[in-house]
Amino acid sequence: MTDKTLDQLKLTEEEKNKLKELVLARLTVMPQEISISIGDKNLDKKALTEHVQSEDEIGKQMMEMDLEFLQDLARGAMYGHE
Amino acid sequence: MNFFRISREVLCTDMNNSLLVTRPNHDSATNYLYHWTEPVIDEAKRKHIPLYDLKEDKATKKIFLSYLQSKRPGFLFLNGHGDAQTVTGQNYDVLLDKTVNKDFIFDTIIYARSCDSGKILGNTLVQHGVSAFIGYTRKFIVGTTRSNITKPLNDPLAKLFLEPSNLIPTTILKGHTAGVADRRSKQEMLKNFQKMISSAGSFEERYAARWLWSDIRSQVVIGDQNASINS
Repeated sequence: MTDKTLDQLKLTEEEKNKLKELVLARLTVMPQEISISIGDKNLDKKALTEHVQSEDEIGKQMMEMDLEFLQDLARGAMYGHE
Repeated sequence: MNFFRISREVLCTDMNNSLLVTRPNHDSATNYLYHWTEPVIDEAKRKHIPLYDLKEDKATKKIFLSYLQSKRPGFLFLNGHGDAQTVTGQNYDVLLDKTVNKDFIFDTIIYARSCDSGKILGNTLVQHGVSAFIGYTRKFIVGTTRSNITKPLNDPLAKLFLEPSNLIPTTILKGHTAGVADRRSKQEMLKNFQKMISSAGSFEERYAARWLWSDIRSQVVIGDQNASINS
């Protein structure tokens, strides 16, 4: 199992922009009722979107998480995880 | 056996099966961890395990180190913020980093429910003599519902994240190994995850499922998988 940061993934600028677009698109359907407690912040949809837009530490983790999730989904890891 | 080894053994004769908990409470994130630590504390009390509960203003470096020195708890359950090199207490007071006196943590099991501590700090502390360190290699995430933000124990979304993480300390308190505690916790997270992405999950749960997946992926045990409070 790899647990690489976005910088370690060495995505091209184009790939990174597409991933960012995907993450931002998904955030548009985030339910208003939920928020994410990450680090010392509790972030709603709007705040999360801003973090991804600015590609700060939290924004990058959101992008890593979504990419990892999609990759794991594609290889069926969610059904065979230890 | 050299002098260093002997001195360590002498120092650790007071090591016991007691539990030291830190649970600051100074923002929304720590408030959730603070309240969700209560079931673990209740479990320790039910089992008559000696417990040192450093909560809120008691979760300071000075008090934490004095308890490590005088009580020699065998299991440290640390809740709070942190980064790759630190775990903090009330108002970000750094409780644990690489400068901690090695004798205070020798042969302990540590579970740090905080961000990023599995990246560097866990390895450093295991090199310092901690038998097993359980933590996260990225930011620990909890999904929350805004209508329950002031009553964390009633938050059904947070429950899906924090109940499995509580299995780590409760499994260790039952005398099982760090490896077993990690596996049980991950199995429970996976069970919750699969429910969340299934048709039985609400829209909110399905959305938040990948956050839980991140916690599953980033939870690590560093050191001796077979370490237990009985060994």
